[in-house]
Amino acid sequence: MMKGFLQESLFLSGVLLAAGFSLAPFLWFILCALKTPAEVTAIPLQLLPSFSLESFRLAIERYGILHYLGNSIIVAGITTFVSISLGTFAGYALARLPRRPAKIILMAVLACAMFPHIAIAGPIWDFLRFMGWLNAYQGLILPYVALTLPLTIWILTLFFREMPEELEAAALVDGCTRIGSLQHVILPLSAPGLFTAAILSFIYAWNEFFLALLIMTDPAKQTMPVGIALFQGEYTIPWGEIAAASFITTAPLVLLVLLFQRRIVTGLSAGAIKG
Amino acid sequence: MTRKDNIFFLILLAPALFILLLFIAVPIGQSLFLSFHRLILSLPQLGSPFLGLENYKDLLHDPVARHSLWITLIFVCAATFFELLIGVLLALLMHHHFPGRGMLRACVLIPWAVPTVVSAQMWRFLLNDAYGMVNYVIFGAHTTEYIPWLALPSTALLSLIVADVWKTSSFAALLILAGLQVIPEELYLASRVDGAGVWQRFWRITWPLIRPALMVALLFRTIDAFRVFDLAFVMTQGGPADATNVLQFYGYKKMFVEGWMGYGSAISVCIFVMVLILAVFYVRMVGHRLLEASG
Amino acid sequence: MRNLLTGIAVLVFMAGTSPGGTITRMDEPTTLVFLTWKPNQSKGWNHLLREFDEKHPHIRIKTQVAPHSSTQYHAIVTQRLKNRDASLDLFLMDVVWPPEFGNAGWALDLTSRFPVREQRKFLSGPITANIWQGRIYGIPCYLGAGLFYYRKDLLNKYGFEVPRTWNEMLTAGKAVLQGEDDPGLYIYSGQFKQYEGLVCDMLEFIWSNGGAVIDRKSDQVVLDKQASIGAVAFVRDKIIGKAAPRGAVNYEEPESLGLFIQGKAVFHRNWPYAWALSNDPERSKIAGRVGVAVLPAFQGHHSASTLGGWQFGINRYSRHPEEAWKFIEFMSSRQSQKILALESGLAPTRASVYEDPEIQKMMPYLNAFFPAFKKARPRPLSPVYPMVSQELQRFFSRAIAEKDSDLREMAKTTSVNIERLLQLVSKIQR
Repeated sequence: MMKGFLQESLFLSGVLLAAGFSLAPFLWFILCALKTPAEVTAIPLQLLPSFSLESFRLAIERYGILHYLGNSIIVAGITTFVSISLGTFAGYALARLPRRPAKIILMAVLACAMFPHIAIAGPIWDFLRFMGWLNAYQGLILPYVALTLPLTIWILTLFFREMPEELEAAALVDGCTRIGSLQHVILPLSAPGLFTAAILSFIYAWNEFFLALLIMTDPAKQTMPVGIALFQGEYTIPWGEIAAASFITTAPLVLLVLLFQRRIVTGLSAGAIKG
Repeated sequence: MTRKDNIFFLILLAPALFILLLFIAVPIGQSLFLSFHRLILSLPQLGSPFLGLENYKDLLHDPVARHSLWITLIFVCAATFFELLIGVLLALLMHHHFPGRGMLRACVLIPWAVPTVVSAQMWRFLLNDAYGMVNYVIFGAHTTEYIPWLALPSTALLSLIVADVWKTSSFAALLILAGLQVIPEELYLASRVDGAGVWQRFWRITWPLIRPALMVALLFRTIDAFRVFDLAFVMTQGGPADATNVLQFYGYKKMFVEGWMGYGSAISVCIFVMVLILAVFYVRMVGHRLLEASG
Repeated sequence: MRNLLTGIAVLVFMAGTSPGGTITRMDEPTTLVFLTWKPNQSKGWNHLLREFDEKHPHIRIKTQVAPHSSTQYHAIVTQRLKNRDASLDLFLMDVVWPPEFGNAGWALDLTSRFPVREQRKFLSGPITANIWQGRIYGIPCYLGAGLFYYRKDLLNKYGFEVPRTWNEMLTAGKAVLQGEDDPGLYIYSGQFKQYEGLVCDMLEFIWSNGGAVIDRKSDQVVLDKQASIGAVAFVRDKIIGKAAPRGAVNYEEPESLGLFIQGKAVFHRNWPYAWALSNDPERSKIAGRVGVAVLPAFQGHHSASTLGGWQFGINRYSRHPEEAWKFIEFMSSRQSQKILALESGLAPTRASVYEDPEIQKMMPYLNAFFPAFKKARPRPLSPVYPMVSQELQRFFSRAIAEKDSDLREMAKTTSVNIERLLQLVSKIQR
């Protein structure tokens, strides 16, 4: 009886610790969005905010966070779509090609994911300028697709490998083309994997800062990480407004995560990591 | 597979490979090329003479670069270790069935959803030596006892590790949770019938079966940890006294701040080679499973 | 599936491609691209852009925005300039960049358009900072200098004059701390993180002790001489962890100002912008109780202030240098500087603006700033200054972060490195 109680309370404290560890830093930061500037940097710190919505108002009106958010959604959304599309074809091909060439290509693809981005930012920029794609959405989307493709390809290849060839063979016998079998048989079954790859790509494109900084200098096209970097003035950091902007940009993602958390977890589990 | 099939597959592969070639492989080649030359942006009159491996030789003798490597290795080891440890604990918690499991999962995923630049700024704010939350939680209102986390060489790197662990433990937890979900319930039931306790169940069943998931998490996290940049850039700018001057940040300063294009590229190539060796090592150890079809 | 993809690709390309706008006929307006940062207060800038628009209907200014952070802005603008990107016409330069930009051939040589008699209308510090090998590469927009802020209420309470030497500051500070019953109160707050600001702060200490990095007369590196090392030792032993909190080793301007305006520091070193913020009752707990003066010096030496500020530059490869010149000439005119001062709080670089009656009336505190402005000293002027700065940052940060650091040893190593960098430059000057 005691043992059960001990276990239960240990478990409960574990849960609370986990939730607190994940949530507390961010919640505290967001709380600053409700404080006045003097309260934000009060020494010693002030726990309760005065619940002023001024920071939110400024973040939206003066700093235009919604505009940057819109650009981020466009860039990250299209990146994800293109990355998944190309990754699906590539993953399918790699899953069905003979082992040795597939392994070599997969390792080469993985190697592409390893090079420090700081160094390739310059050459990528040169190429984009040559094509006239600076300060254009495709100027950011294409590099992002390239940066998310390795992980996408790996995840999807592993998923497609799990698909028994008999299913496909059956479809082919029924008169389906290869593409048809891909579309009607394989994709629906790999939905979790697609979903996982999509979320990972989206979040990567969403967070990326350095390339966005170099490539987008036109305010009309700048994405959210650059937008938030622009909050800083010369020698000033508007913590309240940054916190408000962080809330505005994270809340939709958090909601998405809440709604789809079961899908996300099953997606990562099914097939990709088999014992 | 017929030959016609193979050609078809190669055509499917082509667009992805083309984009990778154009935007990653070619730039890597350009970086590599640059690393064999001396190119100082602000002194174009010096031209860009071919140096062979001299940049790399200089790197080996550069005390700042050696210190950077040391710092980066410490960061990679500590951050990855704690991320995986906490990841396993979180995964175990999230795997258990209990009311509110969905809420816990959502909580755990929040750090992952916060943009990296925001997260770094947030930690800079939290670790402030006068109005930071961390100090308040530990020392209360006794401001004189506060620790200036980002100002002491000893605690600055630790602060970066904490910030990184906070942000990415959930990613590791998710991958490990995936591994947990595949373990059949029957194994646990059977061992419980045999009288095994919680710890034994973990050690005999869970641990061996989540090892592959752990390996994948380890691989990806190590690759990422080696290239840490945002945290150093936002929180400490590499200081104090180069205590957080991680390799990629040092490379950035050399290339973009000082204009040593060749030398900076050499640093990037070195990071690349080290990560490559690590990845090959991992994949050799575990990955043949990942690359072959199962069953 | 494939068609859908192609369709989307085409749409994206079409949506994203922006027109160049650099081919002009006689009746079409010329578009100039101006890469700027988001100003602290945009009122003055917007006013001037509007005014220029009205006065020059044939010239359109298209602004692009980069972060105000000096390092980030540098990365973005050099990326474009080194690639001879003609799509950028106008940009800004931090006060330490003109020699770099001039030598690399990025900034247009303005000497023919900006003769010496015009240069004399500006303060000498900023003008010197824009000159490399006898040619001038930028027009100063606004300047900054290290200023000494203090709590005049506390000094009055304990009967102290404004300190003129660093030791006087420590004495006054100690007395205040003893009298006030606040364990969280410090004597001094400044910027000591390993970044450019550290060089600014440390140079002020070094110069005010008669030391330097590069001796002005002999052009030798004198960082390891006693005058320089003595100042560094003073900061390490008397300031960090004593007069200033240990955490100052990670302070940039915002954190250091935060300490002051929360009433936790008696003295504070910062740029002119801190004046308005310290006296803003919505942000500051000490509004109205702040005084400003020149920085103290060591006994027997003069006060020194590091020069800061930004300048206008024209891309050497711009296709419209004439129009670009018209723009920066307008932006740096006497009237424009007055507007930037009144509406955006930026300190003018033309001496005459300080005597303007309206400026005197609305910004009387500029009179207190002016002595420091006049004598503000630029950091070492060299195309390799960014590299020199990294060496200095490394040296200073190590020196003040480690107790009992062997200053002479570290200074010697740093001096040797700096000399090597300067030799690179003399190679090309031949």
